[in-house]
Amino acid sequence: MKNEIGKLYIELNEEFNFYAPIKDQGNLKFRKVLNPDDIVLDYYNTKIPPKEILFPEMEVLFEYKTDGKNVTEIIERKDLEYKNIIFGIRPCDAHSFTLLEYFFSYGDVKDEIFLKKRKNTLIMGIACNSPKSTCFCTSIEGHPFMKSDMDILLVDLGEKYLVEGISDKGKKLMARLKWLTDAKQQDVKIAEALSKKAEESFETKLDLKDIDKILDPNFEHPIWEEISDICIGCGTCSFLCPTCTCFDVLDQNNQYNNKGRRIRIWDTCQFSLYTLHTSGHNPRKSCIERCRNRILHKFCYYPENYDMLGCVGCGRCIQLCPVNNDLRSIIERINKIKSKKEEKVSA
Amino acid sequence: MSIETENKKIEEEMREVARNLLREKKVNVVIGYTKGTVPLSSTPIIITSENNVDKLIWNNLCYVNLAKYLVPRIPQLIDPEKGDLKVGIVSKGCVGRALVHLSVENQINLKNVKMIGIPCNGIINRKRIEKEIGEKEILELFTSDQDIVVKGKDFEAKYSYDEYINELCKVCKVKSPPKIVDFKDSCLGECQEVKSVDDNFTDVVEFESKATQDKWSYIKEALQSCTRCYACREACPMCYCNLCFVDQNKPIWFEKTTEISDILSFHLIRAMHLAGRCVACGACSSVCPVGIDLNLITRKLEKIVKERFDFISGIDSNKMPPMMDYNMNDREEFMLEE
Repeated sequence: MKNEIGKLYIELNEEFNFYAPIKDQGNLKFRKVLNPDDIVLDYYNTKIPPKEILFPEMEVLFEYKTDGKNVTEIIERKDLEYKNIIFGIRPCDAHSFTLLEYFFSYGDVKDEIFLKKRKNTLIMGIACNSPKSTCFCTSIEGHPFMKSDMDILLVDLGEKYLVEGISDKGKKLMARLKWLTDAKQQDVKIAEALSKKAEESFETKLDLKDIDKILDPNFEHPIWEEISDICIGCGTCSFLCPTCTCFDVLDQNNQYNNKGRRIRIWDTCQFSLYTLHTSGHNPRKSCIERCRNRILHKFCYYPENYDMLGCVGCGRCIQLCPVNNDLRSIIERINKIKSKKEEKVSA
Repeated sequence: MSIETENKKIEEEMREVARNLLREKKVNVVIGYTKGTVPLSSTPIIITSENNVDKLIWNNLCYVNLAKYLVPRIPQLIDPEKGDLKVGIVSKGCVGRALVHLSVENQINLKNVKMIGIPCNGIINRKRIEKEIGEKEILELFTSDQDIVVKGKDFEAKYSYDEYINELCKVCKVKSPPKIVDFKDSCLGECQEVKSVDDNFTDVVEFESKATQDKWSYIKEALQSCTRCYACREACPMCYCNLCFVDQNKPIWFEKTTEISDILSFHLIRAMHLAGRCVACGACSSVCPVGIDLNLITRKLEKIVKERFDFISGIDSNKMPPMMDYNMNDREEFMLEE
């Protein structure tokens, strides 16, 4: 299939919004493909995570009309039924969609907009032959060749792709692509070897087993001061995190034209306005509480609520933190709390 | 002298000053830089014991403006409960300028600050190098003689040091921090007497020569990919407002969406707030995760302020910045006369 991406695009473009990694202003992002020649496939991962396809930086939830005083009509979105294909996504980011789905469907009130789009999205990912030095998906029970979050998984064999349909949705689509040729036993063996090689090449290994049990009783611990002492409080780590889901809902009323819209934009626990009460009180008043919230949400609340870690190990926050406040060293320091306690007990 | 030798010398002298300050208890903490965990970075470090002084480093990736750690927006170090901390701060020229300017704006008390002055030899333009390397992974970056060497799994690239440092560093005239007349004991290490700065702003000439429409399209295109993570604002030593204008929500003054009009209003108004205050450290551009270069805008403003008010920020702790001062001779040609 590797030389036939154009063919794939032409075949599916009419029916699907076809998303793939594309260079935009010097940054690799998932964008709707207009010309299949723009697709970049020789890459580690995109800078902006693909969550933005289903959960964009800014999204209109609905529009409305008014008579100058009251809302007279609500105009729901009509574009949610459209089908999407995300081509070229990595297993870690594909896993993030599973986490996002857990989050947006948790509890009684479901996020219909996200869930509808998710339902209409087909994930056609490419396995990671060579993980980055900051990748750590194997530490969160992920794998550079993980299939479970994909509909179709491609393995880059150099000159061609080995294509495997995973879900029913994926298998159905594959059946439509008549020009695919049957895989040879040899190719499957090569893919297995690549998978093993990728797995062995991880430089970053984090001990995340039982991290929620260390974090839970240490809500008040001097370590949070230490971890946040150089944090400048920007939103890079969370805006570029594939699993961060916080958003802010705003109404934009256009009083001159008797209409308006309700939108949501990304928000993050790192901002000073996050959880600020109307009274002026903020339970997360400084960087200390905000840094703690980010770590606890991913490594303590996620395991408690969904029985899985809220991190996919893509390493974006490690690569892009302006002050290089490295998550790996944060995890290491947290793990030390445990070993220190054990030392005390045994002494 | 090769860049590495220069760096080694700067590093040794800096450690010596920091060690003495901590040993003689003249400061409680020293803020400096230490080696980063990813190749194109360094990380700020706060040390309290002379035993840790060897963790301090100087290389050409020390792009964070450490003066930021002293302003109230980041309260870790100036928590009133912890009392008046005495702080030693590793100061390249622009950190020194930021400290002087923050003192002019009454944000810090220089009495409690010891500048550990170093003669900065430039900061590598990491965003430019990242862009050129593209989608490959950089595993190592170091300077060798007059070159920057970048290595990855199956590639190696060399860039000329003089060409690949920040544009701001190329035209920088204040490489080591300015001496402060009123606080002579605050200036340790390598500090310099700065009376006036002879800057001809060659770096903005090309931008200025563009037609208005082209300038506008340049700015729009440059800012388009902003995600509004506010890393630029949070890294800027001059952005210390407790509540930024864009965060005001009673009422909402500016929308926070990523529509181009909202992005432009944030960045352009922020730039206006920096007129006569920006110390040209380039931290905003160095930290931007999507690689937006804001410095052409801030340099143009610096030039306007220099030409109109003969003012350069962060040089003189007794001179009020033009936007906080009034002078009978201020030009007023914008007033319409009949």
